[in-house]
Amino acid sequence: MDVLYENLLTLNWAQVAMWAIGGVLIYLAIAKEMEPTLLLPMGFGAILVNLPNSGAAAVIEHLFEIGINQHELFPLILFIGIGAMIDFEPLLTNPKLMFFGAAAQFGIFFTLCMASFFGFEINDAASIAIIGAADGPTSIFVANMLNSSYTAAIMVAAYSYMALVPIVQPPIIKLCTTKAERKIRMNYTGKKVSKRTKILFPIIITAIVGMVAPDAVALIGFLMFGNLIRECGVLNSLSETAQKVLANLITIFLGITIASRMTAAEFLRLETLLIMGLGLVAFIVDTFGGVMLAKIMNLFFKNKINPMIGAAGISAFPMSARVVHKLGLEEDNQNFLLMHSIGVNVSGQIASVIAGGLILAFLAK
Amino acid sequence: MEEFTIVDALLTSVIGIATVMVILAIIAVLIIVVSKVIRAFENKTAKSEAVIGDTPAEVKPAGVPMPEGMNEGEVELIGTDEKTAAVIMALVSHNSGIPLNRLSFKSIKLLDDEKKGADK
Repeated sequence: MDVLYENLLTLNWAQVAMWAIGGVLIYLAIAKEMEPTLLLPMGFGAILVNLPNSGAAAVIEHLFEIGINQHELFPLILFIGIGAMIDFEPLLTNPKLMFFGAAAQFGIFFTLCMASFFGFEINDAASIAIIGAADGPTSIFVANMLNSSYTAAIMVAAYSYMALVPIVQPPIIKLCTTKAERKIRMNYTGKKVSKRTKILFPIIITAIVGMVAPDAVALIGFLMFGNLIRECGVLNSLSETAQKVLANLITIFLGITIASRMTAAEFLRLETLLIMGLGLVAFIVDTFGGVMLAKIMNLFFKNKINPMIGAAGISAFPMSARVVHKLGLEEDNQNFLLMHSIGVNVSGQIASVIAGGLILAFLAK
Repeated sequence: MEEFTIVDALLTSVIGIATVMVILAIIAVLIIVVSKVIRAFENKTAKSEAVIGDTPAEVKPAGVPMPEGMNEGEVELIGTDEKTAAVIMALVSHNSGIPLNRLSFKSIKLLDDEKKGADK
């Protein structure tokens, strides 16, 4: 019986607070359906590692070592699944959408400045800024490569805000656009993209990004490998496995593994709140950047662009595209923006990886 | 970790966003170029195949209906996707009152005028 009492007596308020945080994550995952695939394992993991003398902590720590710390295996493998899920056709039919993906990375660089201003070390500031990539695997990859001491807070912020895209983005979009702009209709030509183009696309992207940002080549390479499996047409079974089984399997491990960084000592810090705030700023500036670029482009193009599609460049795929499409329908029930916003959304996916790679290239050395 | 000032962060940010823009611009240009090259190559191949397909050996006896519900043969699609072609064939069949298994389509081609219009 003494053993039981001893264990109970080692429990402290910080651990209980982490149980509460874990409970909130589980609640958000189940009741609000906010990124449940990740928030639920993270929430449960947070409780698991904060039990007094938790025997699970060592196992989860081991998962972290092999799955994330050594060569960022989990996020990279997850990228194969994501690549297999993405259809780049809307982007290939209208390549100028690429620019919106770039503009929606403003948040990353703005947040880098803000985090530096708040006194974070450069590796931490850059890792926090990557929350603006709105891309979980990229955030994990960069934060881990830069040895950030705030990996868990960054993960929680990244995935929480990705889940909150339908709440965060609409007011910003409405604030930056007029009703008339939101009503702009865009024609979708629906040009056929040849199979050869779809096959060459992932190979070319990998080669270009690999040459410019070699640190990001693992990320873009695995993403494009997944896409090549999808588009080649002879590996349907592998493509389906990557999209469903592989992605689900890694997601289960990824969520609970991130929880290894959610011990009370590591998570309950004032900086965590600051990181959550900076993450929100990153998402807001991303949205603003994308919308503003569209408005600027409208000054020069004859065929007007609905500025709302710029907001879909934040790579939170496909939530952001859906949000823009829905906002378009709210203003005009015959205005279908989905194909355009999906095109921007997938370009954001590429742009966020490039931005992550550049941050690593500039700062990892 | 070496000292990193707010000025350094600003400089990194400006260079970073500019580089992302330039890389994506390069990718966009490459997509356009590669798509055009592939389209030209495929159109050329399709035309040469069409010439071969016009030889008497390939011609099937006209007017012989396939059994009900069965269709055979290939339609040459130029600047048209399969979905659009299927819709066109269904429309022709519906409007003419001739069942699809009695109709023979050689090719469905997007007219040049429409093509230019679509590219704008």
